[in-house]
Amino acid sequence: MKGHISLSCRELERYLGEEEERVHALRGVSLEVEAGSLHAVVGPSGCGKSTLLYILGLLDTPDAGSLEISSTQIADLSDEELARRRNQLIGFIFQFHFLMEDFTAQENVMVPMRRLGRLSEEEMGERAASLLAAVDLGDKLRRQSRHLSGGEQQRVAIARALANDPQVILADEPTGNLDTNNSQRAFDLLANIVREREKALLLVTHNRSIAEACDWVHEMKDGRIIASHPRGARSSTS
Amino acid sequence: MTAPLYIALRFATHRKRALLLSLVGVVFGVGIFICTQAQTQGFAEFFIDSTIGSNGALVVRSRFQPRYEGLVVPSKNVNALPARRNYFEGVHNVSEIMRVSRQFSNVVACSPVLRGNVSARSGFETATVELFGIDPPSHLRATDLAKQIIDGKFDDFTNNSSAVILGYRLAEQLEVGCGDSIQLLSPGGEYWRFVVAAIARSGVGTIDSTRVYAQTRAAQRLLKKPYEASMIIYKLRDPYRAPALETHFENLFQHSSQSWQEREESTLQLFIMLRLSVAITVSLMILLAGFGIFNVLTMSVLSKIREIAILRSMGYRRIDISAIFLWQGALIAGVGSLLGCVLGAAMTLGISKVPIHIRGLLYTNHFLVVWDWRHYFWATLLAVVAVFIASYVPAQRAAHLQPVDTLRGSSL
Repeated sequence: MKGHISLSCRELERYLGEEEERVHALRGVSLEVEAGSLHAVVGPSGCGKSTLLYILGLLDTPDAGSLEISSTQIADLSDEELARRRNQLIGFIFQFHFLMEDFTAQENVMVPMRRLGRLSEEEMGERAASLLAAVDLGDKLRRQSRHLSGGEQQRVAIARALANDPQVILADEPTGNLDTNNSQRAFDLLANIVREREKALLLVTHNRSIAEACDWVHEMKDGRIIASHPRGARSSTS
Repeated sequence: MTAPLYIALRFATHRKRALLLSLVGVVFGVGIFICTQAQTQGFAEFFIDSTIGSNGALVVRSRFQPRYEGLVVPSKNVNALPARRNYFEGVHNVSEIMRVSRQFSNVVACSPVLRGNVSARSGFETATVELFGIDPPSHLRATDLAKQIIDGKFDDFTNNSSAVILGYRLAEQLEVGCGDSIQLLSPGGEYWRFVVAAIARSGVGTIDSTRVYAQTRAAQRLLKKPYEASMIIYKLRDPYRAPALETHFENLFQHSSQSWQEREESTLQLFIMLRLSVAITVSLMILLAGFGIFNVLTMSVLSKIREIAILRSMGYRRIDISAIFLWQGALIAGVGSLLGCVLGAAMTLGISKVPIHIRGLLYTNHFLVVWDWRHYFWATLLAVVAVFIASYVPAQRAAHLQPVDTLRGSSL
């Protein structure tokens, strides 16, 4: 891979559950995601894709291994410090978009900015409007999120993930709840933004065509990356 | 506006009805607390003002014999009672004690009183009365007697040595009015005739049903006392410092002294118990409102689990999540207390106009209230503490929710 590495992990190990129900969810997972590239993680349900995503997103902590985001080593940080870095460095997109129901599209995009606290109310509003315009929702700024269609809601979630201009975007089945047309549209939008703005995207998906459209595809099974190959190739580098 | 406050405001509007009910609980709790405290303290202060206005804030009574502790040989019997004080009836050196006591900054005025119990008769009615032999000018300065006159003139009493002023309930009992005569029975067994110059109403039942004021000389002759004063009553600038002056006067004048707090101890305790009892009852209302808020916020946390997880994924800290729910509690406490204070003031004003007919311990034709900022302070503090406790547990619960559990549960 070439270019600046935005996200990398080495030998991640993670156990979930207690005693008899204890599962070895991640077994020495390593990968690197460079700026401006799209990486897809594919694999059957329960193979550890989401667990990997939550660890990379600083929502969960690994039992072993190392993690680096934007050249910063993430180890032994307090909950507060993890939250601060999550706010500054990472944008999340989820399958069920997870918008604040009572908030308008614009207010939803402003939520991460409020936590960061770098912009005034007016500046936040303007930035949210421009991000929503970038995802073709410039005319629905003041519409409550519950009154938007599924595709529109996912586009609001994409705009929200970009709110604090993070280096890394993590997406958990971002098109999993959309029909084929909306799926493709949301992915194309995301791919354009990532490439134009030099972000690093790691997405978890079951959608093979979406995965194949990414720069890299990582296949997971039983907590391991069993194969990684660039677009159009099938070279295994696990 | 901070991010948690902004989100708290938005969340608060989500469960409007439940939140409104909680708010109503706080508003009524605070309002009723203020109103009931204003009433109970109103009656208590009326009693205090009336009793001080009639009997003084401090009284110097009989002289006692000084005990020279250093000369006393300790008793071998450990169970022996300490030697009792010897009292001599009446106040000695009245003018000198009054002259010295006037030097104290807290003393406004003092008045000598010759006190005794006699029997009064009018027509077929008789009553045991408490005769106060007073020096009218001094007594006017030391008490509120002039303000208490409801019929007749104080000057008619001053200008006539055989005139008396009667408590209004005693006058009713003896069925006499101004210009009528009554007879007082002297210890020698002879009846003395007095004319009723005025009727007074102190507002305190025990005074109004027994008190007869006569001039000192007439009282001295009637009671056959060798001294001119059995006590000196004091009007003080700060009646609440009377106990300190009481101790000081006892040591200084070697006369027993009694503050109004000591004199009216049992009645004052009754008022304190009443205030406490009402305060506890109303506090329970506020606690109940707090319980309601606890429920509302707990439900709010449960209904916002998804939002909490997403906020955490966007970099909101545990403290921010906790603050969102604490802010909701603070909004209820703040708005509820403010509206409760307004309601309390309105209820206090309204209730002070309500006519009632009390003729027992106190005399009043309407509810007695006191306007005291401390009632508002304590009611607000109580509401804030109750709401904070009620909000704290749900807030902590929200802060410690694991976002991964929620996200995993929704996405897999």
